[in-house]
Amino acid sequence: MDAMTENRIRQEQIDSYGRLMAGFAHDMKNHLGIIRESNGLMADLVEMGGLAEDEKVQERLKKSIAAIERRVVLAADMFHSLSCFSHRSDTPYSSFQLNDLIREECVFLERFSRLKQIEVVLELGDGLHALYNDPSLLHHVLYRMYNKCLTQMESGHKLLIITEQEGAKSSILFRLQATPQIDVQQLFDAPFLATIQKLDGTLEGGASTKEYTEIRLLLSSLSLEGK
Amino acid sequence: MTSIKLLIIDDEVEFAATLCQRLQLRGIDATDMHSGGEGLAILKEIAPEIVILDLKMPDMSGLDVLAEIKKHDPDIEVIMLTGHGSAGAGIEAMEKGAFDYIMKPVDLQELLAKINLAVDKRSKA
Repeated sequence: MDAMTENRIRQEQIDSYGRLMAGFAHDMKNHLGIIRESNGLMADLVEMGGLAEDEKVQERLKKSIAAIERRVVLAADMFHSLSCFSHRSDTPYSSFQLNDLIREECVFLERFSRLKQIEVVLELGDGLHALYNDPSLLHHVLYRMYNKCLTQMESGHKLLIITEQEGAKSSILFRLQATPQIDVQQLFDAPFLATIQKLDGTLEGGASTKEYTEIRLLLSSLSLEGK
Repeated sequence: MTSIKLLIIDDEVEFAATLCQRLQLRGIDATDMHSGGEGLAILKEIAPEIVILDLKMPDMSGLDVLAEIKKHDPDIEVIMLTGHGSAGAGIEAMEKGAFDYIMKPVDLQELLAKINLAVDKRSKA
C-alpha cells in the first residue's frame, strides 16, 4: 500500500472516530436531559411537600437532589466539550478561536495532571485573532505537548498554559514550574516536529529561570479583518 | 406565567413528559407530543403560543417542523432544543424563524426566562 493510500485510510479512520464520539456525546446529553428533568420534578414535588412530610426526610431528599443536579451539570459540560472536540474533525481546515480549542481539550486533559498532582492553570488572553488551520491536528499537538510537559515535571507544581497575540502570531506558552531548561528539539520526535510544520507553526523554548521553564508554540493568525 | 399555551415536541418521551409536568406545576398550559408529525397534527386543536421543539427527531427534522409551524401561524414563537455541541445548529434555526434555542440538558430557569421573553415579544406584536 502506498503512503498516500495509507494516509487517506488513517484520515478516514479519524473522521469515523469523530463522528462516533459526536453521536455518543449527543445521546449522552439526551440521557442527562431525562435525569435532570426527573430530578427537577422530584425537587418540585419536595418543595410542594408532595414527596415527604417529615422534615428530616425532606432535607435528605433535597441534599440528594442537589448532588444529582451538580453531577448532571458537570457531566453535561464534559459531553458538551466532547461534542465540540469530536466535530473539529468535520472540516480539516476552518477558522476557530484558539482559546475555545484549548478550553474544550483541557476538560479531558485535566485528569492526566490530576493523577500526577500537577495543578494546571489556564491564562487565556483576550482579543486573540482567529486561526485558520487544522483544529483536529492542533488538538493532537496540544495533547502531545501537554503530556510531554507533565513528564518533565515533579508532582506538586503548577503548569501554566498562557495564550497571547504576538503581532500576526498567536502564541501558546506552556510554563512548567520548577523544571530545568528543556531542549525542545530533543524533547519531541521528528514526526511531531513535522506535524508542527504542517500546522505552519514554530516550536521554541522560552525563558528558563530558577522558578520555571517555558515551551512556546507560535501559529499564524488570520488578519484583523478575519478576526 | 399563567395560561400560556405551550407545546413540547420531542421524540424523547420521558424527557418531554417530565418537562411538561414541571411546566404545568408552574401554571403553564403545557402539552407534549413525541414526533414532528404528531406535533403538527395537534397545532390547530391546541393553538399554542409557544412551541419547544427538538432539532433532531426520527420522522422529521426540527427545521422542517419549524417551517411548517411558521406556515401554519407565523406568530407562534418556537424555542429549539439542541443537543449539538456548537451553537451553529441553534443559530441556523433562528435564521429560519425560531425565537431562540436552548442546549440540552435543559436548565429550567433558563428555559422559563426564554419563554417569558417569547411571551413578551408576542404581546408587543
